[in-house]
Amino acid sequence: MTHPKRKRSRTVAVGILGAASFALAGCRDEQVTAQAFPDLQSCRDASIASAEMSASDCDAAFAQAQELHVQSAPRYDSRELCEEEHGEGSCGTEAQAAGGGSGSIFMPLMMGYLLGNMMSGRNGFAASQPLYRNLQGGFTNASGTSTFSTNAGRGNMSSSQFRTPPTTVGKAPLTPATVSSRGGFGGSGGSRMFGG
Amino acid sequence: MEKITLPERPGWRAQAEELGFTFADMHGEPYWDETSAYRFTLDEVETMIEDPATELHAMCREAAARIVESEELMARLAIPEAHRDLVRDSWRRGDPELYGRFDLAHDGQGPAKLLEYNADTPTSLYESASYQWLWLEGQLELGVLHAGDDQFNGIHEALVARFAELFAEDEQLHFTAVAGAPEDYATVEMLGWAAREAGMGAHYCDLDKIGLSDEGQFVDDESRVIGTLFKLYPWEDLLRDPYADHVAPSGVRMLEPGWKALLSNKGLLPVLWQMFEGHPNLLPSFFEDDADMDAPGMDRVVRKPLFSREGSSITIRENGAVTEASPDDSYAHHPHILQAYHPLPVMDGFRPVVGAWIVGQSCVGMGLREDRSRITQDLSRFKPHFIRG
Repeated sequence: MTHPKRKRSRTVAVGILGAASFALAGCRDEQVTAQAFPDLQSCRDASIASAEMSASDCDAAFAQAQELHVQSAPRYDSRELCEEEHGEGSCGTEAQAAGGGSGSIFMPLMMGYLLGNMMSGRNGFAASQPLYRNLQGGFTNASGTSTFSTNAGRGNMSSSQFRTPPTTVGKAPLTPATVSSRGGFGGSGGSRMFGG
Repeated sequence: MEKITLPERPGWRAQAEELGFTFADMHGEPYWDETSAYRFTLDEVETMIEDPATELHAMCREAAARIVESEELMARLAIPEAHRDLVRDSWRRGDPELYGRFDLAHDGQGPAKLLEYNADTPTSLYESASYQWLWLEGQLELGVLHAGDDQFNGIHEALVARFAELFAEDEQLHFTAVAGAPEDYATVEMLGWAAREAGMGAHYCDLDKIGLSDEGQFVDDESRVIGTLFKLYPWEDLLRDPYADHVAPSGVRMLEPGWKALLSNKGLLPVLWQMFEGHPNLLPSFFEDDADMDAPGMDRVVRKPLFSREGSSITIRENGAVTEASPDDSYAHHPHILQAYHPLPVMDGFRPVVGAWIVGQSCVGMGLREDRSRITQDLSRFKPHFIRG
């Protein structure tokens, strides 16, 4: 067999950061500043005093959120099921809520949108996201992966919130839960460490 | 191979701590011990460790190919019946392997002997790939080692290359280990660094926080779908977990692949002996229930459970009498194999075991651990090595 002359790496990763900080070092997504608006007008109003965005940014973001809403809002096969997730009066038929489609598929009404700075033009990301009511009186995104207490205000959040949600158009209506269980790994090994 | 006393690098403990190598001392004993180091010649490394270990991995792949075709062998290796297809399919699909570590008895005189293959969840990757390397570079700089001294340690570069070979750039990989185990975690983080260097995204999630989506895909602690999962958690345990039924339907790509359950299993050793009897790097090995005790070398045997880590539940029997037993018998209820006893060399009161690292299908580095006891356990010490001559 042939062997390289030098037997060791030229560089190595030198440190261990630990589970918490390793996530921060890159496992966790970067943080971006995001603002939520209940409707287009409140965004435009805010843009007058803002150096970061213009009214046309608001228009573009709102249009994109609406597009994602049509493509990706959770679909339910009954109004009842939809209202169980989003609260009474927060749902409509696909025909009503998305301006076209089925009268027997139900989806939540868009109750605002989340606008992320610097997220436009990145593959797999959208600069804005539709917001929906949740049962707790707060708001959630299309994939249901995060909740917000309000649909107005600003804060820092993970850039993953701006990932384009998986499309639900033409697919079977979603069942209410996204995560059906946790903790199904690790039980057989007891509490010892596993390496050897 | 010789053991040489060397001055320790001044301030290495503070450096280790700063780097997050928090287990350099364990249980009040040194784990990383640089008061001495093992010296090898280049020829010894290449002809007695590197090439034999690469060949052993190829033999193990042949053994895997045989085992998946045999219900009887699958049963002897205690692969749960419900999941034999998972193991079989992973082999037939050619699911690629990432890494493994052979433990070899090597004295520099005769051929190195395979003690076992940590093919599924090998740890001590940080010590081997990274801290050992820092030690060498530091000692070269201090003049303790000489210009031209080297180390058999291409592990990190090989891992980066392997990730690049297996995954597209920007692919998102998940890594998991049991929570609160710093030694296990260190190995996982090393792999995460290598994956990132290769252009992938690396995400860590504690093992018990993994969930299942309503569409049957695994998700991490932030409910993000897991496409590829590196798990520092043995297949033999995973296949007995509630989520085992969901692995195949989920479509998740597993590292190590399911067929590694056949190689990290001590039942591999008798299968290798059946297939390659007399191979210079193998010791006679048998399943306990049909052991040929009259075979040469079987007057002194090591009895090992199919599944065991850190030297647990192992006994040494000489002429029928148990002469040494490891205190932890947590694996004792498993079936056992018998392997001819091969003494480890004794160097300055300690017995070294050579860990030969495989990345992909080639041996790319080594790390040594030594123990006072004849059974290497979790109180053993990690020893650096260098190549001169």
